[in-house]
Amino acid sequence: MPRTRSSTSNREQLSVKSRFIERPRSFCALGGAILTVTALPKVVPIMHAAMGCGASIYWNQYGSTGYLGAGYCGGLAVPSSNIQEKDVVFGGVERLEEQVKSTLELVEGDLYIVLTGCTPDIIGDDIHSVVRKFQAEGANVIGAEAGGFRGDGYVGYDIVLSALARSFVTPKARKRPKKVNLFGVVPGQDAFWRGNLLKLRSLLNRLGLEVNSFFTEHDTLDGVRESGDASLSIVVSEFFGMRTAKEFETVHGIPYCENPFPIGPTATENFLRRIASELKIPRKRVDSLIEDETRGYFRYVERVADAYNDLDWQRHAVVVGDANYAPALTKFISDDLGWLPELMVVTSQVSEDEKFKIDRVVDNIESGYPVHVVYETDPTEVKNHFWKHIPRRTDGLHQDVFSPGFVVGSHLEREFANDIGADHLTVSYPVGNRVVLNRGYAGFDGSLSLIEDLLSVIAAQR
Amino acid sequence: MSYIDAKSAPRREDRLGTCIEFGGLIGDIARPFCEGCLKNRSRGFSQGTICQLLPALAILTSLQDTVVIVHGAIGCGGAVHSLGASVRLGQWRSGDKNPKGALWLSTNLNEQDVTQGGEAKLREAILESDRRYRPDAIVVLSTCVPGIIGDDIDGLTEDLKGQISAALLPIYCEGFKTKVMATAYDAIFHSFLRNMIDGRDETEFSVYDNEASVAAEAIRRHRLVNLMNVSSMTGPDQYELTRLLHKLGLEVNMLPCDAHPDAFRNAPFAALSVGVCPTHDDYFMGYLEERFGVPFVGSQMPIGIENTGTWLRHAAGRLGLEDIAERVIASEEAELNKALEPILPSLKGRTAMLSAGEVRTLATAVLLQELGMEILAVRPYHYDEFGAVDVEHLARINPAIKLNVATAQPFEAVNMINRAKPDLYIGHNSDNVWAAKCGAAILPIYGTNSIYSGYAGAYDIARRIKRHLANTSFNEKLSRNVRHPYRESWYAEDPFKYIKQGAA
Repeated sequence: MPRTRSSTSNREQLSVKSRFIERPRSFCALGGAILTVTALPKVVPIMHAAMGCGASIYWNQYGSTGYLGAGYCGGLAVPSSNIQEKDVVFGGVERLEEQVKSTLELVEGDLYIVLTGCTPDIIGDDIHSVVRKFQAEGANVIGAEAGGFRGDGYVGYDIVLSALARSFVTPKARKRPKKVNLFGVVPGQDAFWRGNLLKLRSLLNRLGLEVNSFFTEHDTLDGVRESGDASLSIVVSEFFGMRTAKEFETVHGIPYCENPFPIGPTATENFLRRIASELKIPRKRVDSLIEDETRGYFRYVERVADAYNDLDWQRHAVVVGDANYAPALTKFISDDLGWLPELMVVTSQVSEDEKFKIDRVVDNIESGYPVHVVYETDPTEVKNHFWKHIPRRTDGLHQDVFSPGFVVGSHLEREFANDIGADHLTVSYPVGNRVVLNRGYAGFDGSLSLIEDLLSVIAAQR
Repeated sequence: MSYIDAKSAPRREDRLGTCIEFGGLIGDIARPFCEGCLKNRSRGFSQGTICQLLPALAILTSLQDTVVIVHGAIGCGGAVHSLGASVRLGQWRSGDKNPKGALWLSTNLNEQDVTQGGEAKLREAILESDRRYRPDAIVVLSTCVPGIIGDDIDGLTEDLKGQISAALLPIYCEGFKTKVMATAYDAIFHSFLRNMIDGRDETEFSVYDNEASVAAEAIRRHRLVNLMNVSSMTGPDQYELTRLLHKLGLEVNMLPCDAHPDAFRNAPFAALSVGVCPTHDDYFMGYLEERFGVPFVGSQMPIGIENTGTWLRHAAGRLGLEDIAERVIASEEAELNKALEPILPSLKGRTAMLSAGEVRTLATAVLLQELGMEILAVRPYHYDEFGAVDVEHLARINPAIKLNVATAQPFEAVNMINRAKPDLYIGHNSDNVWAAKCGAAILPIYGTNSIYSGYAGAYDIARRIKRHLANTSFNEKLSRNVRHPYRESWYAEDPFKYIKQGAA
């Protein structure tokens, strides 16, 4: 297949500078914060925001997170001060105070978290004075500024967890050597957050670790409160959750280790070895876990190998996703599934000095297959990158084209996939054409689900 | 209507005295509303809800050949990730087999922009949209952040008008400006009236090159009506209403939803504007009459059997088509009644509660009464003069109906449901789940691929209610296994406890 090896183009550089974004693939900071709070067990958010932030976030959630519903106190049930123009003029603190008081009276929560939207954040309402007043009365309430202009949904996740680290988690001088906190899977921004956390949690359990994953059905608010005696924060991202991990390091003296998001046996083996070495877990223990998981993986893969080979299920691929998913999916489809990732589009706004982290994953792909990496936020521009990298040729009868092709991306890539005659699976945000409950793609076990989903798209056409 | 000279449309609170806080019996709202006692009310406890930006997004992203720029923080347009599904469906229905969905951009205002202003970013977004997508129109939707930091959107768009080929429409939708989300409709129409609809008549230019075609166009316009659809109206709804108007021999120019900007440009040349929801389009149709002499009807929503007849009679009456209308109504009703006959026994006496936009809720409740169901409560998102007719109608049949004016506010709904225990709850998405957790059967009051309007809608709603009542085990089991976030004590309290009287 003809490929151009261009140096970084203008547009690729432009996408780093903050400018407009077409159909942004994320919540705002407040949205990410709300999704994070409502993912915690029986924690109630109190929004100090204009009235529309509630439905704006929820309708976004509705179309982007695999139909993740409101849950206990999310969606349009989120208590909110719904501030008006007069509050913008005179300040909204009084209204917030009234709202916190009535929320405590009416809504049952084990913890309440006040979160500001853009409007009170800009006019400078002092929410912490309100929070302190209610804390003095014995209420379990904390607060954080989360105005949407502060960043995307990933930032909102860090805002909430950092606030917990500062204001909720009990400081502990003595750490428990086998206890870890798990960060980097962002509820909602990752539609498969619950499944991914469950898979990673159980994998780390098998390594002999006690895991605080914060958001699964096995986690409790007490667990969150007691997370200060962990020995290590494991971040399954080199981008998301980093601020949280650093906050835990500063406030609670817990070191962290950042990892590429692990999907599939190859990446997950690297991940486990890294964690084991950080925690000084005996080599034998890791070896035996990896051996066991790998055997389990191939018990299944063995029995799809017939179809994979007989029906020629190897594909050229384009991968589109955030800074977690894009490299992780690319590595898995290349190293384990044997596909050919021609183009990888990273949709997060990654700063220049962090791009090496993504390059590191791609450069270490075992097949050595050259993956063309671009940073692009705008969905309609994906097609332009594709055609620039894989030019249409009109000379000659025979063409080495992008076929058979597959696009692993978000639901925004459906039309692009149709346009280039490729199959398509939605994995990264926004996920509006799939329903996601407990499915996860992380680890050994998760990658089996991913194989099922990818190959089922192809098999469905038979 | 001098409003049009202003940069933005007035708030509904100011223009119509619209309120969003009331709880009581259905007959009890008329007097305090007329006396202005519902103004300046508020809630001491409230839940996050819908601001004017959201219905604006729903309408504007459905426009053909149009790019919507949401000028604000990165999250403000996010609702389009779900709203876009119906846009995509609309494009599919009109023949695009690889529909692209809604096309919108965020100016992605960040901390730096909050201090330095967002105009430069907006300028770049407008210029790049024009270059990249070559749209007919670019809409700039301004949100809370530029509203506070004071970006001069009008100045910027005026400045750019000569530099780009697309029509440019600034629309002001700051969420904190109004508590009535329906202000969005005025905000949108305001901008289209100021920036796009100039009454320029193409027949006076080169498109029509002979007298015969000019005459033919004049005849066509004589039977052309503007059908004002709403974003909570589905493709099948539009088809049904068009079908009925065709039966009167009329041709339809449909707008605003799913329309091409040309539908706006052509609106001044119709013989009549036909609204389907007064809360939606009174501002637009009123101005069209005042400025271009296009009369309008539309005090009635065509949801419900009698309502649909009234709607048709109003339209026909303005065009001298009364006789045809009576024949159409008689034959449609006969056909409908025959079809409903086997369904009605399953509905008879079953109880319902409804929640949605003002007119939609009330009109649907009227239909349910026609179908033999008992209405326990209606929860319109807001209330003003446009709700009065249906409120009277409902009260006449059953004065015990509870009326709760609330833009969602599920805490009030759950309290009411817990007391009244309706068999069926009819509400918008995001509102329904709270009733579902109480075990009620749910009929979504609006769905992207179902029909609600006209005679076909009346039949289909009946048919679907029967289906939902036939097996409620999903929600029943849900209600036994999950709980609401409210304290037990809440259920003993007055559901309207947190509504505070304001200074009149």
